[in-house]
Amino acid sequence: MDVSAIDYYANHGTSFLHGARAVSKILFASLVIASVVISGSFYLLLAVYLSLLALVFWTRLPVLKIVTIAAYPAIFAVIFAAASWNGSFVSAGVIVLKALCAALAMVILIVTTPYPDVFSSIGPVLPRIVTEGLFLTYRSLFILLELTDNLIKGLRVRGGLTHGKYIKNVVNFSSGIGLLLVRGLDLSEKFYGVLNIRGYGGRISGGGRRDKTGVNDFTALAIGALIFGAAILTARDGGLPTYDVYILALSVSVLIVSAAYALFQKTGGKAWKR
Amino acid sequence: MSHMHIPDGVLPVWIVTAGWIATAIILSFSIRRVGGIDLKRKIPLIGIISALMIVGMTLEIVPIAYHINLTVLAGIVLGPALAFIAVFIVDLLISMFGHGGVTVVGLNTIIIGAEAVLGYYLFQLFREVMRNKSIFWESTLAALLSLFLSTSIMLGVVYASHVSPEKIEDIKHLVSGTGGGTGEMQTREDGINFPRFAKAVFILCPLGWILESVITGLVVKYVFRVRPDLILPQQA
Repeated sequence: MDVSAIDYYANHGTSFLHGARAVSKILFASLVIASVVISGSFYLLLAVYLSLLALVFWTRLPVLKIVTIAAYPAIFAVIFAAASWNGSFVSAGVIVLKALCAALAMVILIVTTPYPDVFSSIGPVLPRIVTEGLFLTYRSLFILLELTDNLIKGLRVRGGLTHGKYIKNVVNFSSGIGLLLVRGLDLSEKFYGVLNIRGYGGRISGGGRRDKTGVNDFTALAIGALIFGAAILTARDGGLPTYDVYILALSVSVLIVSAAYALFQKTGGKAWKR
Repeated sequence: MSHMHIPDGVLPVWIVTAGWIATAIILSFSIRRVGGIDLKRKIPLIGIISALMIVGMTLEIVPIAYHINLTVLAGIVLGPALAFIAVFIVDLLISMFGHGGVTVVGLNTIIIGAEAVLGYYLFQLFREVMRNKSIFWESTLAALLSLFLSTSIMLGVVYASHVSPEKIEDIKHLVSGTGGGTGEMQTREDGINFPRFAKAVFILCPLGWILESVITGLVVKYVFRVRPDLILPQQA
């Protein structure tokens, strides 16, 4: 989980998805996940994945990096598919594709939306302590990641993590985690104190710069609705295999057009190289 | 390591919904329970413990592909109610990174939350019984037992997920001779071989449990030496 990179992409992107409101993108991700839940068609799920991949091209962010982040659940999906193996590659493929589609939808959401915007959008449906906890956890995560990096470097330089001395390594590593906890807590308390002095009352200020619903929001919602509609259509009456092929062909076309756009339109191929 | 890395749409809807309902009930109970305490001091602690759990999940122990959760540490430091809230926060955040499905956040919170809550109570129990000054063994044993119990709960969920209400209905039809979808029976036969899965889990996991328990024990021992108020607030 490269949290720093995700945060950078969310705050520095310029695509239409970056311009959409957090609520619209949350609804988009929810529609995709709902489609994944109701659909059992291999071809439709493949089409959904290809469509999401096309959307990643449109974000103008490093495609390979995002796909790699979203591919992590596939490892566990493969294990799950192997455990429920019934001799059919299609059934196994459905499990893996479900994991890939849901993860890619979520990753598209978080690489195009700053976290405070996501938290402030889901805040109204969550208890205040959870919203505040989410915000401080996210903030603490960056503090801890930096401390962890320094700690591991420090341990290596001073011989705290030595090849072959496994018991000693575990003891030093554990003390390091304890140190992280104590130091991280001090920093987090200071941060929370500063927030309170500045008048923080539990509400996270986010999304203020994009209050109006615009064409970007409608585009995101329309894509989500299209995917959901296709899932309902193919799931109805046990599936309509004829449509699967058309949907798959359409998604392949969209992917090719999107890849061509990313490669040649103004970017000069930089997006792909990155 | 009892975190379910099951993707969205694989488990039956009824069990996923049940997980969310149970989580909502326990979460509201936990929030009501912590209503009286000074949250200004506790919220930074929730943030840092939750972040520590996420960092723990990113640090993979390479030879056995195991990642530590530090949930028992969360239970010991935060107490059962706040630890459950922290677990929910962690599950919600990591689901956004695609680490476990979004729809299974409820179930994951129940399983990992049980680990934290059991860890707290077992730690208190072992502390009363053993009365060891370093508190290393109390926390290690509490972590070991909690991991075993939460993994058993996880196995229970996996088992239950293959006995969906439709399939129970299917069995009823077959028993009563009123017909029913034989296709659904086929689905059950095609499902996970549960005894094989359970055996694999109980053979592979103990090494990870021992490692995580020892790490938890050592972390608690270190924190107790430096900031005893975090481990035993009543003695500070």
